[in-house]
Amino acid sequence: MQNAPLSAPKPGEGALLWTLKIFSGVLILLILILHFLVNHYWAPNGLLSHAEVVAYYQNYPIVPFMEGFFLIFVVVHSLLGVRSIALDLRPAPRVLRGLDVLLLAIGLIASGYGIWLLIRVTGWGG
Amino acid sequence: MNEPKKLHSRGVLDWFDPRGRQVGGWGFIINRISAIGLTIYLYLHLVMLGKLAQGPEAFDAFIATAKQPLILFGELLVIIAGLYHGLNGIRIALTSFGVAVRYQRALLIAVVLLTAAGSLFFAIRMLSIH
Amino acid sequence: MSDEKWTVTFIVFRKKDEQPVRYDTFTLEVSPNEYVLDAVERIWAFHDRSLVFAHACHHSTCGACGMRVNGVERLTCITPIREVTRNGGTVRVEPLRNFPVVSDLAVDMSRLYQAMDVVHAQAVHPLDAAPLEGDGIRPPRQVPQPEEEGEFLRLADCIECGLCVSACPVAGTDPAYLGPAALAGAQLQSIARNPDLLSVVDCAEGVWRCHSAYECTAVCPSNVQPGWRIMDLRRQVVAQRIKALLGQR
Repeated sequence: MQNAPLSAPKPGEGALLWTLKIFSGVLILLILILHFLVNHYWAPNGLLSHAEVVAYYQNYPIVPFMEGFFLIFVVVHSLLGVRSIALDLRPAPRVLRGLDVLLLAIGLIASGYGIWLLIRVTGWGG
Repeated sequence: MNEPKKLHSRGVLDWFDPRGRQVGGWGFIINRISAIGLTIYLYLHLVMLGKLAQGPEAFDAFIATAKQPLILFGELLVIIAGLYHGLNGIRIALTSFGVAVRYQRALLIAVVLLTAAGSLFFAIRMLSIH
Repeated sequence: MSDEKWTVTFIVFRKKDEQPVRYDTFTLEVSPNEYVLDAVERIWAFHDRSLVFAHACHHSTCGACGMRVNGVERLTCITPIREVTRNGGTVRVEPLRNFPVVSDLAVDMSRLYQAMDVVHAQAVHPLDAAPLEGDGIRPPRQVPQPEEEGEFLRLADCIECGLCVSACPVAGTDPAYLGPAALAGAQLQSIARNPDLLSVVDCAEGVWRCHSAYECTAVCPSNVQPGWRIMDLRRQVVAQRIKALLGQR
């Protein structure tokens, strides 16, 4: 007896998005360790005043760079995670498209806002 | 007639109900709860950091408020969730690539023990600083 | 054979048509070495002939008698009462989750059979793809080779009992998820041998719906190890996608 033909592909999630989630997760872990050491261990007094944060970021320009990348990885990982949870609820294709636009907007706004904040605090924007 | 029949399921509740679940299932439940918690924290944290742009008074006043015991407790929860989610993430990444799948239970126990030890370390550190 | 007798109370899930769910209680004198299915049959035979449940072979081959016993998925024909309660204790018997209930303890397992069909699950597999009895989840290291061309085949372990679908935390919110048994059926064929499977499993309703709870592996009565197989299938999918990216298809 011959089985029915394989069903048409149903994308929505794939190897690329999943690999991105795993790799962003690993990068987050690596930078998180650095983030903790840099911001709460090596930094004088644990960066608990505005002046300290500004001085620290200006003295060590690598730190705001690291924070910027950290933010992007965390945003990507969290939004892919939210999308994955949403997919567990099997949204209708239209709802999924809307969600994709919303998540993309949140990601871009959060990343842009965070980078703007870093530029403001370091005073690089002039 | 073609209407899909309703599944015998409690839907989202079944994601979180630990009854009848085994070790791996508990791992999944805590992973999902910590994921949701950390996501909410991430965006709250970003909004709060906006105080940095509002100048020294706003940020320093915010830091002073953040030293309340309730907020410190919340921060500790974030650390616990972060530790668990990160360590369990390593477990899932490993097993997802076919590494040590056989030992996923043992790995999960190690994740929980390391999370407990790390949480204790950070709790003591927070108490000694504040 | 011991004559030991236990008094056990069975709390049984009941549902007919659109009527609300209720639980009926039956107190039975049983041997602790009897199986849960024996008790369910006795309830039907001597207490309530309207009780509906599915069973056939009584020796873990047909996969028909899967139920939730005290909240955990079990093949009731091989679950001794001694394992799930004590003398004077209770046993809660409910239908499998994540399938529609037909009546009482019987569920409609169409979604499982359809998913097995979608991945073209085979009844036999090459010897090196399926674990041998008691050999754990890894394929055996040394696979005997036939003297002539071809390869040895063995019967698939999966008895399509649906316990894995019932235990999966995600299968209840996504009715279209292929589920552990079907994904294991895909893994046993390997994507390299059957490239058409790639698009079937590399999608939202395929391998990526799994969140590594390993509940399927924990309840599988037949050593299929679906959790391990889904992870291996993911590895295969990623490897195939990378190969395609590098133009080595």
